[in-house]
Amino acid sequence: MTDAGQSELARDAEWQRLDPRMLLVHPIRELLRYLPVIVVVVLGSTAAGGEQWQLIGVGIPVALGLLRYLTTSFRVDAGRIELRRGLLNRHVLSTPVDRVRTVDLTSSPIHRLLGLTKVRIGTGTASTNDEDRIDLDGLPLDRARALRAELLQTSTADDLAVPEAADIDVVTFDPAWLWFAPLTGSGVVIGAAALGALTQLLQTVGFFERFDATQVDVPGTSPVVLVPLLVLGVLLVVSLLSVGGYAVTNWGFRLTRNRAAATWHLTRGLLTTRETTLDDDRVAGVSLSEPLGLRLARGARLSAIVTGLSKSQPGSSALVPPAPRRIVEEVAREVLDTAAPVDAVLLGHGPRAARRRWARALLPALVVAVACVVAVGLGAPSWLLLGVLALPVAALLARDRIGSLGHALVVGHLVSRSGSVVRRRRIIEVDHVIGWNLRATWFQRRSGLTTLVATTAGGSQAVPVLDVPEDEAVRVAQQALPDLLAQFTG
Amino acid sequence: MDATPSLREPSQRVSSRARQMWTLEAVVQAAIPTLGLVALAGPVDAFDLPWWAWLLWAVVLAAYVAVVPSWRYLVHRWEVTDTAVYTQTGWWVRERRIAPMSRIQTVDHVEGAIARLFGLATVTATTASAAGALEISGLDKDVARRLVDDLTVKADAVEGDAT
Repeated sequence: MTDAGQSELARDAEWQRLDPRMLLVHPIRELLRYLPVIVVVVLGSTAAGGEQWQLIGVGIPVALGLLRYLTTSFRVDAGRIELRRGLLNRHVLSTPVDRVRTVDLTSSPIHRLLGLTKVRIGTGTASTNDEDRIDLDGLPLDRARALRAELLQTSTADDLAVPEAADIDVVTFDPAWLWFAPLTGSGVVIGAAALGALTQLLQTVGFFERFDATQVDVPGTSPVVLVPLLVLGVLLVVSLLSVGGYAVTNWGFRLTRNRAAATWHLTRGLLTTRETTLDDDRVAGVSLSEPLGLRLARGARLSAIVTGLSKSQPGSSALVPPAPRRIVEEVAREVLDTAAPVDAVLLGHGPRAARRRWARALLPALVVAVACVVAVGLGAPSWLLLGVLALPVAALLARDRIGSLGHALVVGHLVSRSGSVVRRRRIIEVDHVIGWNLRATWFQRRSGLTTLVATTAGGSQAVPVLDVPEDEAVRVAQQALPDLLAQFTG
Repeated sequence: MDATPSLREPSQRVSSRARQMWTLEAVVQAAIPTLGLVALAGPVDAFDLPWWAWLLWAVVLAAYVAVVPSWRYLVHRWEVTDTAVYTQTGWWVRERRIAPMSRIQTVDHVEGAIARLFGLATVTATTASAAGALEISGLDKDVARRLVDDLTVKADAVEGDAT
């Protein structure tokens, strides 16, 4: 660390404040946060005729913003990043530079207007407390980028790399991807949540009390026409909202790679833009997931399994938003630097695993179906007979889940696929596997099956291979890490 | 090497006093909901249970207290070599965990309130993965101490940050 860190890190060795333009951002943000209070104060004081009260109402948030600016400072010195803040409770955060795993730059519309950005330095801490995050809120964009480049340069092992190498585009946003938005679970959830908020609003203004369904008289329609129309309308609205949500988060999406610095670089966002940089050494693998709707439309999405980044920070590890499967697979090959784990034909888990899938899907469905039939027999309304439909649905689910099951061990990567409603193909580099769990219930043991779990320090912390025959599980684990298991077999 | 190698059980059993500890734990676990139920049905008079429901309840709990601790004792095993830690725990769900010594990050030694009555302790070795902690409960206190020292020395001997 002599030549490379000369410019930015050397400049940052002294305690220094964030960008002075934050003096504009903080008061605006504080004003927005205290808007309800301010409105009350302003209205109250005009009624009372007091001018000073209005001044205090505006002044306090502005003063708070100023105070925050004055009390926050940071430095990068002796291989550590230190962040100091707070007036009464002095808070000093300090972390070694070589622990930096990700650097996120987030710019809200106010930030963008002023050419600023918020730098979030990810160290993989398990703490969920906001106070423990290293956020440098408010640096000029180009300075933030230089800082990022050098922080990650220091944390990667190969310091000999040339930092000035070009970023190569791996994938860029295509507006056609918007079609996939309504097909994902999260898209529907966002849409439904927005719709829920709307109805809540209507409820508070008393829409439903005044609205009387019996008085709605559209000529020439009956409930038979009206109900499907209504359902269609709701679906349409939810879809539109989810497309909107997708566009806001992912517009302008661009994934680039810098081979020399060994980093991945992700930019996206319509209003608030977000730039994430991942250290290639820490990318342990990828997870390609296909929610049912997306799968039917030949789409998928991709996230990285990043060492030190847990599931609670999902935004930092997303690699490709819902997009055509072809593109997603292309990116997966690029990220893994090999095509084999993505294209490999997976080994199925055999008839015993299949029987287990059938049993687990059909038995609960059978209970539901029988309960419904018995209830109708005892005089419950006849529409309950619809419960019998649980059986064919369960059968379809079981068949699909059996088709999904599979695993492979190719060119140093463990590949595992399972699931139906959300089918996932998880690929993890064997070097990043830090242990094996072999889990088997009494039923599984009886049919000679076990769930092999490769534990890892990233993502969901584990890559499960569901219901493999026991000897196959041992074979895979042993082949992956030969020295480890050999001493316990025999 | 055999064409289809199979994983053997870890070599060491936990202390035989663990069975008594788990029995006491099972009794406590069974007693708490029973007391709640008795209080609700008796003094509070929230509901009436037929005699066969009480009988069923008693039989299930008695079976749990009688069977599970011994079953657990049969399953719980552990082994530490120079390069790896191997544990087997559970009763209905049997879980075998293997972690290389180079990935062990911390070693915990805990003596719970009930465990102390029996002179027992639990040793937990954690790795960087939240899904990968290896826990051995029901160890004799002295064995546990030695195990902690042993693990600390061995894990320390390996380079790297264990992620």
